[in-house]
Amino acid sequence: MTPIRRDILIGLICIAVALIVPFVFGGRYVVTQATVFFVWAIVVVQWNLVLGVGGIFSLAQMALFAIGGYATAMLGFYLKVPMLVAIPLGGLIAVVAGMIIGLACLRLRGPYVALLTLAIAQVMYVLIVNDTGCFTNVSGCMPLFGGVRGIGQFGDLGFRSLFPSKWYIAHYYVALGLLALAFVFSVAVIRGPLGLAFKALRDSPGYALSRGISRFKYQLWIFAVSAFFTGIAGGFYAVHFRVIGPTVFSFSLLLFLIAMIVVGGMGSIWGPLLGAALLMLADEGMKEFSDYRNIGLGLLITLFVIAWPRGLAGWFDRLRALRTSNPD
Amino acid sequence: MAEPILQLKGVKSGYAGRLVLQGADFVAGKGELTAVIGPNGHGKSTLLKTISGIVRVSEGEISLKGKRLDTLRPDQVVAEGVIHVPQGDLLFPGMTIYENLMMGAYLTREAGSVAERLERVFTLLPKLKDRRNQVAGTLSGGERRMCGIGRGLMAGGELLMLDEPSLGLAPIVIDQIYEVIFDLRHAGLSILLVEENAERIMDQADSIHLLDNGRFAWTGKGAELMARPEIVEAYLGA
Amino acid sequence: MDVVIQIIASGLTLGAMYAVATVGLSLVYGSLNMLNMAHGALLTLGGYMCYAAITHLGFHPVLGLAAAALVCALAGLAIYVFATLPLLRAENFETNIFIATIGIGAVIESLMLKSFGPYPIPQPLAVSGSVVIGNVHIPLQNIMILLTALVAMTAVALLLQKTRAGRAIRATSMSRDAAQLMGVRVGQIYAQVLALSGGLAAISGVMISSIATLTPVMGGDPMLKAFIICIVAGLGNVYGAVLAAIVLGLLEAATQYVLGVRWSFATLLLLVILVLIWRPYGLFGRQQVVRL
Repeated sequence: MTPIRRDILIGLICIAVALIVPFVFGGRYVVTQATVFFVWAIVVVQWNLVLGVGGIFSLAQMALFAIGGYATAMLGFYLKVPMLVAIPLGGLIAVVAGMIIGLACLRLRGPYVALLTLAIAQVMYVLIVNDTGCFTNVSGCMPLFGGVRGIGQFGDLGFRSLFPSKWYIAHYYVALGLLALAFVFSVAVIRGPLGLAFKALRDSPGYALSRGISRFKYQLWIFAVSAFFTGIAGGFYAVHFRVIGPTVFSFSLLLFLIAMIVVGGMGSIWGPLLGAALLMLADEGMKEFSDYRNIGLGLLITLFVIAWPRGLAGWFDRLRALRTSNPD
Repeated sequence: MAEPILQLKGVKSGYAGRLVLQGADFVAGKGELTAVIGPNGHGKSTLLKTISGIVRVSEGEISLKGKRLDTLRPDQVVAEGVIHVPQGDLLFPGMTIYENLMMGAYLTREAGSVAERLERVFTLLPKLKDRRNQVAGTLSGGERRMCGIGRGLMAGGELLMLDEPSLGLAPIVIDQIYEVIFDLRHAGLSILLVEENAERIMDQADSIHLLDNGRFAWTGKGAELMARPEIVEAYLGA
Repeated sequence: MDVVIQIIASGLTLGAMYAVATVGLSLVYGSLNMLNMAHGALLTLGGYMCYAAITHLGFHPVLGLAAAALVCALAGLAIYVFATLPLLRAENFETNIFIATIGIGAVIESLMLKSFGPYPIPQPLAVSGSVVIGNVHIPLQNIMILLTALVAMTAVALLLQKTRAGRAIRATSMSRDAAQLMGVRVGQIYAQVLALSGGLAAISGVMISSIATLTPVMGGDPMLKAFIICIVAGLGNVYGAVLAAIVLGLLEAATQYVLGVRWSFATLLLLVILVLIWRPYGLFGRQQVVRL
């Protein structure tokens, strides 16, 4: 079986399973958690494009997520834009922001990129949290970006009024659809010309350059395209929770998402998705030990990077290699 | 031939996934000037890096006066008395000449012998004395080379390995550098010299070894090499 | 006039603290190409260890500071042995150590949270009183911080410039291969540098917590600023970093006064981005020529 066919097959099975989940486990808790998982999976799959495929050490992914979320919320709150329009617009705004961040970063070498993007996210956080002036008094004093409490009451996708008791199932399917799109898109990038260009740049930078493959151009591309679905995920997140606040910048969340990528396997197609699923499940199982959550995440990240830098995807590759070398 | 100081037996080594030395056998005599020649990219620098332990040996043996070197770390190889002056000098650009020379004597802890060696280096290469406080990053090519050789001598080793000491220098400067090298050899130091260009060392070297594709293809005296124009033509394009 | 004195006094104090925090980071990057994301956590660890030694173990404050420095130096060594060493043998060292130290930092900070709780604790290593220059009261604490930083920086400079070990550290950061060819055992140098950097982190952590308070997340902000300083100076450039730290400290004090606390960090960052667009390798950084 060719790798692409295998990917399609696994993908179809996953979607089929995901489609029936709400009917089997109808409980609201399971469905809602699964929806959150889809959101983080979108972010992680897109981040993996930048980190693992593009080799750009950007920590700005959650900032882009926040930009998408905030843009959606502010469009709805201040301009009364319907959510169905505001979310894609949020995605586009995230793309523009991604391009700007990309332009500021891409001449820099790896560690400089990491620091700069981390600092950019931090500045956004500080500016939002420290803003206490009233921008509007419509429903009580609210700063432009909502301050510590965030922005709420900016609209809805309409499922809450359509299915008052089952709206969360509708959100589940919306998130699943978005993830499927984001994932297909990421596979297309990895297996397509963009992925090939990066592979060329990684394996033989000199030759790739001489063939007209410009690292700068492709890095900007991958930065921009991965920002789109990340921003949309942010918008959906805001609509789903009916609020977007500075908590999306939290270090704990960043750690959680990095752990998903590292455990799953950076740069691989299925790794980040697998990592996201596993860490969501582990987090669920360890609820009572939540005090130790960050310790566990930290140890997990460190352990995987040192012992299995290619993550779980690396395990599977090795298993497959073993199987093909012993055809009995 | 003099008693051997350095001996390689079937040495294989290389970089991630690519073997460069593919079974090199080689002997260098004590107190002699041994030259390794050969075209670019056939493992001359790798040979020296392998001896000094920067590139790991994957197969075979390297020994200095009977003592195994191939299992040692680079710093231990230096401690055994093998000094490698690398290609392109690799000076410490932010340090002065004096500090560079002192780094050469890093493993020597008695101040007395360090001062003595410094005096000897300054006598041999007086230019270094004049510029002792100049930062190495601002030196000219010839001065850099001298500083590199001087730094190597500061270690007081038994075997001095020089990687293309003529590389990138003007002919007149090359002459000066070789004068120093020949002086050192006459003073009794064992020298292992790697050069792409064989002409200058032909009549001074005690033995010449031709490295081709990771193996030694020919060994002999300078005069014998001149008598084999086909080798000179095939490998050195002269 | 008084305002200027005020700004210079608090700017120098900030700069001094940042300088101590930055030097360790810069040394580690310079000699190993390792961006230590656990540096902020080491700062926090140092602050709490000093607190614990003085309050719970009854140490003399100076001994408390020394104990904190020792613990953090050991933590730095542990990072070398358990993370740096195995990762140096594999590919992609720079990326992997970056991620690994993010994990290590999270573990250390969470351990502080578990042991000391989330609430701010005052740092017992503090002096009260102030001196008056013009009409401005300058707390003695600030002066003590300046002096401590001065002593620490002088010690580091002497170590690097005048001692055999210091020369080996500089040599290793200029050219790893050449240092090995001189007989330097680079593994040992790496271990020394990480331990030294840990010790310096402890000192700056104690200083920072003595004018703010101890919290489990106190290391994040100074670490980010230390990174910014490193970037502006050019990663790995130790002396440039000290200069940049002092300049940024003064600048931060000035922007805080002129624009308010809210904007100071954003202004700083904007400046950094401009510097990086103008010189992608930092003000004093050298462009590394990549040979294909």
